[in-house]
Amino acid sequence: MKRKFKIVSFIIVMALFVSLISGCSDKEIPVIGISQYGEHASLDNCREGFLQGLMDSGLEEGKDFNLDYQNAGFDDAINTQIAQSFSANNVDLMVGIATPSATALYAAAEDKNIPVVFTAITDPVEAKLDQGNVTGTSDKLPVSAQLELIRTLQPEATTIGILYTTSEPNSISAIAEYQEKAPAYGFSIEAIGITMQSEVTLALDTLIAKNVDCFSNLTDNNVVGVLPSILEKTTDAGIPVYGSEVEQVKKGCVASAGIDYYQLGISTGKIAAQIIKGEATAEEIPYETIQEYHVYVNSEALNEMNLELPESISNNAIEVHNI
Amino acid sequence: MNNYLDLFTSTVTQGLIYGLIAFGVYITYKILDFPDLTVDGSFPLGAAITAVLLTHHVHPYLTLLIAILVGAIAGFITGVLHVKLHIRDLLAGIITMTALFSINLQIAGSNLVVTRSIHTIFTSGFLSDVPLIYRKLIISLILVLAIKFILDAYFKTKSGLLLRAVGDNSLVVTTLAKDKGTVKIIGLTISNALVALSGAIVCHEQRSFSSTMGTGQMVFALAAVIMGTTLFRRLGFVKGTTAALVGSIVYKAAIQVAINLGLPANLLKLMTSILFVIILVYGNFQRKEVKNNA
Repeated sequence: MKRKFKIVSFIIVMALFVSLISGCSDKEIPVIGISQYGEHASLDNCREGFLQGLMDSGLEEGKDFNLDYQNAGFDDAINTQIAQSFSANNVDLMVGIATPSATALYAAAEDKNIPVVFTAITDPVEAKLDQGNVTGTSDKLPVSAQLELIRTLQPEATTIGILYTTSEPNSISAIAEYQEKAPAYGFSIEAIGITMQSEVTLALDTLIAKNVDCFSNLTDNNVVGVLPSILEKTTDAGIPVYGSEVEQVKKGCVASAGIDYYQLGISTGKIAAQIIKGEATAEEIPYETIQEYHVYVNSEALNEMNLELPESISNNAIEVHNI
Repeated sequence: MNNYLDLFTSTVTQGLIYGLIAFGVYITYKILDFPDLTVDGSFPLGAAITAVLLTHHVHPYLTLLIAILVGAIAGFITGVLHVKLHIRDLLAGIITMTALFSINLQIAGSNLVVTRSIHTIFTSGFLSDVPLIYRKLIISLILVLAIKFILDAYFKTKSGLLLRAVGDNSLVVTTLAKDKGTVKIIGLTISNALVALSGAIVCHEQRSFSSTMGTGQMVFALAAVIMGTTLFRRLGFVKGTTAALVGSIVYKAAIQVAINLGLPANLLKLMTSILFVIILVYGNFQRKEVKNNA
């Protein structure tokens, strides 16, 4: 019995060892380690855009670079280990999609001063990613455009309800901007902070009871993660929900003045290409804030809410459908 | 082969730092037989207080002491809830853990990042010629081994022996005219002080605090302790603390291997479950064998 176990454990150890060796990459070609915080439509779009951006800059996978893509599944401990595995494996460039990934990568990159490129971060200053061997793209929400859109679709509305997570620096800075700009458009903001996903429903009920005229979303992972259940309640209550990007409109939000995350990814890819080619270091390239936006509308959702789409919007808007 | 050495180094470092949680859970679960869920709250508590202190330029090593202190208070509260207010063990831990979630956010404001311009225990000048990745290993090794030897020594003192007696046979404690409630409170206090220290070192190491970083730490530590003690069941001379530490390193190594194999994140937890089963089954076979030989 004992012997059998020795053999079994020997085989397991060998299997693990061999797999490690086979994972060894060719040192000649630079390796890009991409760490994405979790499965999320906008983050996926970012990643696909990023690869497109590298291709647009004339870099070809397998020839000019190799990819090591990891996804943390929204788990902080795994997020850290991914970052450390990149650092230990001496990848040539680290790419962090979403704030937690980027901060973990930047901390792990300290060991060897590996350049870090981030994307899908609303506030790089708040996340302390604005200086050092790090650069990337910021997805600052086009708050003014969103407020204007809401004003055009709902001329009578006075209050906008917003749910946000108190621990997400992205959301806190976005709320501050909403509160600053809303009065100029004749709105007041009713914001409720939550600490975890399970509190979304409770906070939502409170806002519905306060008779807000509509909801506007941020790029808040906790809130967006349960968007379908939010929409179920708001549809019953007859309150329109405005998304913060196209994927949310596809899920049933009425409209959104939102950033195109695919485009954001492309810009990020181009920055990364400069670093890979050795044209500039991450330290030299300032981070870019993308504020170009598109207006996305979902006619089915608009009809359900009895909202008219004025021509001033429909001419430039991109129509998306429920998925 | 250079990167495998680095990979090994950073994995062992992780295992060591998180091993402090395993020490804590070893005391509550293995010695006191107390399922203490405070861990999921006291771990981020240590990180939250450290992140705030570091950004206010408090000396890095002082932050560790303060983290130990606040962790001890958290454990003490769970102990009082259970022993003095007669709340069931599982519930007492859950209550403190839940309260700590709010307290942590109150302390830190939101998720915090510690910039590179701020020195941590790993960059404060000690061993500054050694590359950072090895420096992290050496410093955490020194810290964790020091804690381990202090704990081992403590278990041999009168108070330490009473602690072990409460879990094994609480009647003994009562016949010695000692209050087993007090002993439990002491155990929980020490345990959570260690857990918060782990959170503090993790904050130094990854330069950030996140409100959700405590989720699942209790489960991780439990797995580490059980794996460690199962692996060393037959070797009586191996101390429980050593076993917990090895369990922690094995756990982190398993995840590292999975990441390097390119397993999708969704499968990482499955991988650790499989490892868990293998080690438990291995342990059970060993036990049978001992019986047969006897």
